[in-house]
Amino acid sequence: MTMNKIKSGREVMVVGVGLHPFGRFPDKDLGQLAIEAVLPALEDAAVKWKDIAVAYFGHVYYQGMSVGETSLSKLGLTGVPIVNVENACSSGSTAFWQAYWGITTGLYDMALAFGAEKVPRGPVTVTAEDAPERYIGGDHMMAGYALRGKRYMEETGAPATALAQVTVKARQNAAMNPFAHRKDTYTIEEVLNSRMIADPLTLFQCCPTSEGSAAAVLCAREDLAKYGINESRAVSVAAAVLTSGDYNGRGADHSAFSPYRTEPAAIQAYEMSGISPEDVDLVQVHDAATIGELQQVEALHLLPFGEAWKGTMEGRTALTGDIPVNTDGGLLAMGHPFGASGIRMIHETVTQLRGEAGPRQVANARIGVAQCSGAGDVTTVHILKRG
Amino acid sequence: MVTKRHQQANILGMAGQWHCIIPTMPDSESAITPVSIDPQRLRLTNDDASTGTLIGFKCNECEASVFGPAIFCQQCTSTDLKAVDLGNKGILFSFTIVRIPPAGWPGEIPYVLGQVELPSGPQVLAEVINCEHKDLKIGMGVELVLKSVPAENGGPDKAVYKWRPV
Repeated sequence: MTMNKIKSGREVMVVGVGLHPFGRFPDKDLGQLAIEAVLPALEDAAVKWKDIAVAYFGHVYYQGMSVGETSLSKLGLTGVPIVNVENACSSGSTAFWQAYWGITTGLYDMALAFGAEKVPRGPVTVTAEDAPERYIGGDHMMAGYALRGKRYMEETGAPATALAQVTVKARQNAAMNPFAHRKDTYTIEEVLNSRMIADPLTLFQCCPTSEGSAAAVLCAREDLAKYGINESRAVSVAAAVLTSGDYNGRGADHSAFSPYRTEPAAIQAYEMSGISPEDVDLVQVHDAATIGELQQVEALHLLPFGEAWKGTMEGRTALTGDIPVNTDGGLLAMGHPFGASGIRMIHETVTQLRGEAGPRQVANARIGVAQCSGAGDVTTVHILKRG
Repeated sequence: MVTKRHQQANILGMAGQWHCIIPTMPDSESAITPVSIDPQRLRLTNDDASTGTLIGFKCNECEASVFGPAIFCQQCTSTDLKAVDLGNKGILFSFTIVRIPPAGWPGEIPYVLGQVELPSGPQVLAEVINCEHKDLKIGMGVELVLKSVPAENGGPDKAVYKWRPV
């Protein structure tokens, strides 16, 4: 894979975050959901809407044209560029990535990244009606994760109980998070005994499809004073990386299901930030299914390849472990409104690094990683740093 | 193999005694022979769409193979590619028994989805049929088999590639 050495410019800070609870909200349309995350983010940053110079909106399912524009117009028509971003499950994190690059290059002082989604119920497919994949049977997100799970168990000796423990941990974290779609806790046995979706993944090992929204306000560090922003609560973006799939010896037939596409993005992010995996205090990864968390943590070099299942069983990825993973409950318990999930991860990371995560707080959290995947082998890796 | 022509004959009660008075198929009916589910990935090798080979491209520069269409090599971006048959055999890389199918799935439930590695490298997802679930094993040899499936939006049946244990 050809990778440019990333040259960032001005230091960029996250100065405000907002989140609408994830779940089902039949009385709110997409624009309304979006705005209910944007307003708290602006309030959190203590900036005015008219100070936002550009906005990027992540969403996937079609809800009318230019939803970013129509939802933000409720705040006033300021004429700034508004970009609607679709990058599958990474749409929100891609919007955040764009906001970062808009500021670091000096184009804009302050940017809004926000995302919202109302995902229909039932298994998620990625192809259009009558596409060949519909007949072939391979267009099934959870079946793709199941193939990875089966192979992982064969290669590493991981038992089904280790995969189930990922859900047990996620639910324990979510039980302390009022924004989570699923807050009930389960035992390993209850997870394994839930309805089988695609062997080895049971229902509770697959993330719920959800509705929700998230937003973040970003600003150049050198411009904080100009806008009267309190620097003590700002969190620095140390790396912002977006990649798509590489050949990896297999080609693109089942590319959405390849496990280790994150690694090249992670290496770029560590190089860009000068931060090494040992420095990371907590991480949010794309756990659309339990196996996803295990493989992403390995691809980020936070636990050795083939051993994340052991680390999970030993409690290393729990809130009290040495590398807490998905501290807010992750996709598995927060749920997964595609356009919002990537920014939800930024919200949790910022909240933790500020020391404002309440009962979920990871002690002395200084550096956090957020990794989000999407169909098309999209991967984003962001590294955030306190101070 | 039951073709649409046979099914129609049965529906009309003509399969037996009336067989003699429908001696030939009009030319227009030749269109109801199943068509490849994806002509850029599966080339049919006989007239009744019961056999075929997976197809793709091989790069003359880096020798990487791609399943399906390619203008540029997916590995090295060269345009020096040759069309190749990728054959009809492979090894089961992974599999899952799907109990909740995706929208539009026209087959039985549950079904087995296999991730199969071809000798030339690419992997191909398809249903695995003619197997006992308990006998499935990663690393087992599988071969291609074609099945005719009615089209979602009308038109000729689709010849869909599937795997079965060797």
